Parts: sequence; structure tokens; C-alpha cells
Amino acid sequence: MMNLRLASLAIMLGLLTTPFSSAQQLAIKAGRVIPIVGDVIEDGIILIRDGKIVEVGKDLAIPIEAKVIDAAGKTVLPGFVDVHNPSGMSQANERNQNVPFLSVIDSIDPSRTYFEESRRNGVTTVAVVPGNSTMIGGQAAVIKTAGRYVDDMILKRHAGIKISLSPSSGASRMSHLASLRKEFEKAQRAIKAADDAPKDKAGDAASKDTNKPADATSATASTTTPTTTSADQQLSAMKALLRGEMSAFVYCANAMDVMQALSLTKQYKLKTTLVLGQECYRAADQIAASKLPIILSDTLVFWKTDPRTGDDEKIVLPKIYHDKKVPVTFLVSESSRPTLGSRYLWYQAATAVKYGVSVDEALRAITLRPAEILGVDKFVGSIEPGKDADLVILSGDPLKLKTWVETTIVGGKIVYEREKDTKLRGLLAPKAE
Amino acid sequence: MKRIVITFLITLFCSGSVAPANDVLLKATKAITLDGPPIEPAAILVHDGKIKQIAQTIDVAGDVKVVDLGEAVVVPGFVNAYSQLGITGGSSELTREITPDFDVQSAIDWESRGFRETLDAGVTTVGISPGTDNVVAGISLAVKTTGDDVDQRVVKHDTGLVITLASDPRSRNRARSRPDSIYVRQPTNRMGVVWMLRSTLQGVERKADSAGVLAEALSGKRRIYCVSRTHFDIETVLRVAEEFNFSPVIVGGEESYQLASLLAEKKLPVILGPLRTTLSAGAEGTEPAWNRAGVLHQAGVVIAMSGPDLLEQARFAVRFGLPEDSALRAITIEPAKLLGIEDRVGSLAVGRDADLVVLSGDPFEFTTDVQAVIVDGTLIDEEDREE
Repeated sequence: MMNLRLASLAIMLGLLTTPFSSAQQLAIKAGRVIPIVGDVIEDGIILIRDGKIVEVGKDLAIPIEAKVIDAAGKTVLPGFVDVHNPSGMSQANERNQNVPFLSVIDSIDPSRTYFEESRRNGVTTVAVVPGNSTMIGGQAAVIKTAGRYVDDMILKRHAGIKISLSPSSGASRMSHLASLRKEFEKAQRAIKAADDAPKDKAGDAASKDTNKPADATSATASTTTPTTTSADQQLSAMKALLRGEMSAFVYCANAMDVMQALSLTKQYKLKTTLVLGQECYRAADQIAASKLPIILSDTLVFWKTDPRTGDDEKIVLPKIYHDKKVPVTFLVSESSRPTLGSRYLWYQAATAVKYGVSVDEALRAITLRPAEILGVDKFVGSIEPGKDADLVILSGDPLKLKTWVETTIVGGKIVYEREKDTKLRGLLAPKAE
Repeated sequence: MKRIVITFLITLFCSGSVAPANDVLLKATKAITLDGPPIEPAAILVHDGKIKQIAQTIDVAGDVKVVDLGEAVVVPGFVNAYSQLGITGGSSELTREITPDFDVQSAIDWESRGFRETLDAGVTTVGISPGTDNVVAGISLAVKTTGDDVDQRVVKHDTGLVITLASDPRSRNRARSRPDSIYVRQPTNRMGVVWMLRSTLQGVERKADSAGVLAEALSGKRRIYCVSRTHFDIETVLRVAEEFNFSPVIVGGEESYQLASLLAEKKLPVILGPLRTTLSAGAEGTEPAWNRAGVLHQAGVVIAMSGPDLLEQARFAVRFGLPEDSALRAITIEPAKLLGIEDRVGSLAVGRDADLVVLSGDPFEFTTDVQAVIVDGTLIDEEDREE
């Protein structure tokens, strides 16, 4: 009896100790590594320790205690980065039109199919951003797509404030823009008042508190219990925006909104990322001149009929921006519309290649560029030593029709394996009833 | 490079389209003819809108324009056997449930943008059917997606009779709200739909009159397309078809894969409705199944695909498990056969219409573009399509 207990204790201890000693090391022997930054490595090895990439190269010595993933004949890329998506939220928009202090984190449900589908399609990082129909719609967060609780997933807690230039139902554009400017002015006055005031400021400390965690280290120092009133929070969030401590995702439904976005950006020195509706291509020249980062609509190709002449015109967004040398990023849609593939980042990238963008450029547009826009390129977006071990192992060359995501790795942990994906198997080999 | 090719084409074809009697010789890296093995390299001689000769090389002399398509791969213009393309102002008669004589041609706006979008995706021929709100919907026809003259665009006026054995005819009917109104339509459930069809067909049988749309359909002179999606509706189709001894083409067929071996045994073809890549249920709550085309094909069922962008449908079907050659067949020759127009379109062979799609490379890559479409020997370039 006693012996049995001792034995089980020994086993438990064994179970406890093994993960600490070896399981934190991982080595991937890849047929090909596309690191995005730097040259493609044939027969490359990626060494991972404690969830970070330690070394990438050819003929590296694999530590004996490392778990080895054999990806011979397969291609390894950095995990894809979804630059703007409200799908992780239980509800994308607020009824209150002015909520810069809200955080999407309170709304993220890790059990939503969005996350499952993301891992299945190689997306390892997503910026969860509020929807397009709230004037000042709350704060975005950059999170990983794997995790049971949202707190385990956060990469960047305060990733920018969503602003929509599209008036909510019933309001006119005039009143929408007027209220927006009013909020900016209010925040600007407050900043000025604080700057002019003697430097003891107790009130400003609160705002500093909420704004300070603008980098990934903040993931743990998170639960700031709201002691201030909502008006204070509102103001401090807006102040962070105007001080450039927080960036802005500005949704433009059409070309006239783009002009407004550019002038607001200039006037209030916003760090703007333009979230472009499909009609915005008419302002492509101004967008190109502004040099602001842009996110294209999920509909990349569509037709327009001139209301006057009745002429039909095919609009190919990736081509328009490619011709003007504007680097782009892509959105994915939740439904099968407008095309079968617009639910997948890799498909959006393939569509860009179809219309003249190079494969390298298209891959960058779903990895490093979104990471840069979101300010998380220190951690994700490419395969480089020191970055998070967020990787996708593809069955073949990227963007090919018969290429599938074989394995998705987030923080050095396997979070998706195609051979264990029973749901996918059910869709591809449906049984007769 | 791609743009250069197209500009080049435009200049060469400009006079060609004005005087179509001129012969044109197209040269490409490869032609997938669907009338035998692929031809590499390929030369296609077009005369008066028809394919005059097709071979690896053709020697020509005299008044023949030679167009070198370079790296391009040429395939037959795609055929969509089932659509409601161009129908304007309602696609079903809502005051009747049985409208076998309804002719869809009178409802088509030939200038509709849908035709141009479809053409741009490489679809040169479409079957157009009346909507599915009626139990017996009417007669479908097959048309080209472009052309100057309406009569010339019609490839076949009467490709078959469309009936619906799904829940569509019962939608929006409220039998009890105003029983005396002429706007009250009868079926309010699936039983009602089947009952109306059965009593109609029995009426035709009783009359023993060989004339009339329905009688001709029952006697096998006219094809019957049967719109049906769930597995139990398709089972009903099989039951009714056996009872009245006809051989339908299943349209939609979202859950037809569940009856794949039965359909193969009865040699009933399926025109699949548009694929969806979502995980949620499809039309009428049908089970999501991405590889239904592959399952049907493996069981030996003849399939055709429908939907707005046929090539993309075929590509995803291949990704999900359908062999490439079957996928290409399912958007060219098989739908042409199901419309009864395979002597004119759906493959590249001598005597067929010169309907061609010029692709920038392998048809089964997402990165391959439709560079140009040729219909009846006339190049439809981007400039033309905008006019």
C-alpha cells in the first residue's frame, strides 16, 4: 500500500519535472523556410526555446532534449497576422457612439469559431478591432488566436482606437463629423490645460496609468480596476490618442471619408491606419500621397455601373494600389461572400498575386506588414531569433491551390494539426446518411 | 506582361471583329480541348465564329491573322447550366403554382450587368431557368453571355422543363389569411408541393394527349430539371420520377452526396448549386459538405457546377477533393450536355463555336487570371466589356 503510494508519487513527480526540463525546446526541420525577413532557406532548421525562436538556419545542431517536428518537403512561414477583425467579439458595435475607453478584451470570446478557423488557416495573431458603425468605438487589442482565456492570448492590450467616419443611422455626415471634432477639441483643450497647469497633477496620473501599457509587456499588468468615472476615462483615452500614445483605425466608407480622415489626421496629428471601404479607391492618389498604412475591404474585385452612362467597370483593388505603389493589407470576411475564398488571408494574398503583386510582397502583406501596422513586429510577423515562435507549416508552396496548413504553432506550442482536424475531415469526406 | 498581351490582342482583333469572316489563327502553349487529350502547343484556326481546325501547328497562308497568346492556356468557354441570370422583375409567377408554359426568355434583360460579370469570369454560355417559387416553374433556355443580336445569342430556346421539389413554393403562402383572394397560393408545406406536382402529372396522364409541355416532358421528349436540395427532397424526386417514369436532372443537390450511389445507379446527373466554404448549414439547412462534388464523382455520378464564378467553384472543388479533369468537365462539356448543346459549346473541336477562355497559366491555381474571352470568334477585351 505504502509502496504503491510512493510509486504514484514518483510518477507524479516525474510528470511534473519532465516538462520543465525538455518540453520547452522545439526544433523544426523544414523543407523550406520563408522567413519574410531575409532569404528563403532550403532544408532549414528552426530552434525554439520557451516559446521564442532562438536560431534559424541550415545545419544547426539540434539540442538532444528538443522535441523535433519533421517538416521535410514542407514550407514554414511566420504565422499570419489578421490586421483588423471584429469577429472575435461577442458583439462588434456599441449603441453608445462615443466609447473610446472601452476595450475589446472584455468582449472577446476565445470559443468563437473565428479563432478555430484562424488556426486552421494559419492565422496566429489578430487585432480585434470594434466594428465600423460606432463613431469612437473603443480600443482594439492584438491577441494570439490560441488560448482558453483571453488573458492568456493578449499581445498588446491597447492597440489603437477605432473611429468611424460613417454616420450612425439617422445622423447626417455633418453632425457626425461635428461631434467627432468636438471630442477631439475637448481632448486637445484638456491636454493644453494639463500642460499649462503646475506639474503636480493627480488627475493626470490616472490617464498615464491606462496609457502606459502600450507594449506587449503589459499583458500581465492588466486589470486596472476602473476607479475613475466614465467621463474621465473618456477624456484620458482621447488624450492618449491625440498624444500619439495610441494609434487610430479610421474607417472610411467612401472616398469623401478618406479626405476627412486625412484632414483629421493632419489637424490632430493622429497615428492613423486607414480602414478602407471598397469605394475608397477613388481617392487612391490621395491615399498614396498620405503614406498612411491601409487596410483594403474584404471585397477585392467588384463591378460598378456608371449611373449616368450605364458603363460597367471592373474594379480590382489590389491592382489599383499596386500600380500606385501603396503597400496594402487585407481583411477577411466572415461569410462565403463575395468570393469563396475571401474568408482566408492566404486567398486574399493569392488574389493580389493574380493581379500582378509579387508572391513575396503578398506574403509580407499577411505577415510582417500587419505586424508593423499594429506595432507588434518586435514579436511576430517574421521568422527571426528573438521573436515569438508563431509558425505555420504548409503542405507545399504558399498560395497554391492544393496547399494546406498542416500545423500551426503559437508561442512554441502546436495549436492546430490537420491530421487531427476531425471537422475538416468531415467536410472533405462527408458520410452518406 | 499580361497587359501587353492584351493590348496586342486588341490591336490584332480590331479589324477581325468588324469583319468576322476573316480567319484568325490562335497560338497558345496549351489547349485543354475536352475532346481528347490536351494539345501542346496548340494552334486553333477560327473561321466565321467556328473552329475550323485545331492541331499542334497549323500552316496558314494568305488572309489569316495570327495571334500568338504566348504562355497562355486555352480552355473552352465555361458553361453554367443553371442560373437566373438577367431575369428582371421577378423570376416566378406568384398567382399560380403550376406554370409549365412560362418562357423565361421574355423576362431577360440582355444588357444586364450580370452577363458581363459572368463573361468576365470566362463563362460564355448560361442556362437560364425561371425561379423556384412555383412547383412547375417553366421552360429554360441556353444563351451566350454576349453578342449583338438576341436571336444569335440564344443557343437553344427550350432546354427543358424546370420543376421544384423543395420548400421554396410554400414560402410566403398564407392559406388562411384571405382564402378568397386570387393571390393565395396553395402549397403551404412540402406535402402540398408534392401533391400539386403529382396531381398535375396525373392530369396529364389521364388526358393521354401527347402535346403540351408537360406531356412532352413525361414522354421523354423534353428534359426535366428538378430543383431539390435536401436528401429527403431528393428521395421524393426519385420516388415521383419512378412513379411517372421520367429521368430528371437534379439541380442544387446540396445533400445529393448522401445518395451518391443511388444516383449513380439510376444514372441521374446533378447540377450542383454554388459551393460554400462556411462551416454553417447551407440552403434549406443542408449539411455543410465541402467535397460533395468529389463524393458524387467517386460514386460515378455525372456532375456540373453552377454559381457566379464557375472557375473558382471548380478550383475549390479540386482543393476539396475532385480530380482536376472532372472539375474542368463539370464547368464545360457536362453542363453543355445537360443543356443539350454539346454539339455547339463545351469543348474545342472542329465545327464547334469558337468560344474560348485564355488563361494566364494553370487553370487550377488561384493566381491564374482570365486574360481574355473569345465568343463566336470575337475577342471580348476589357475595353469592349466596359462599353
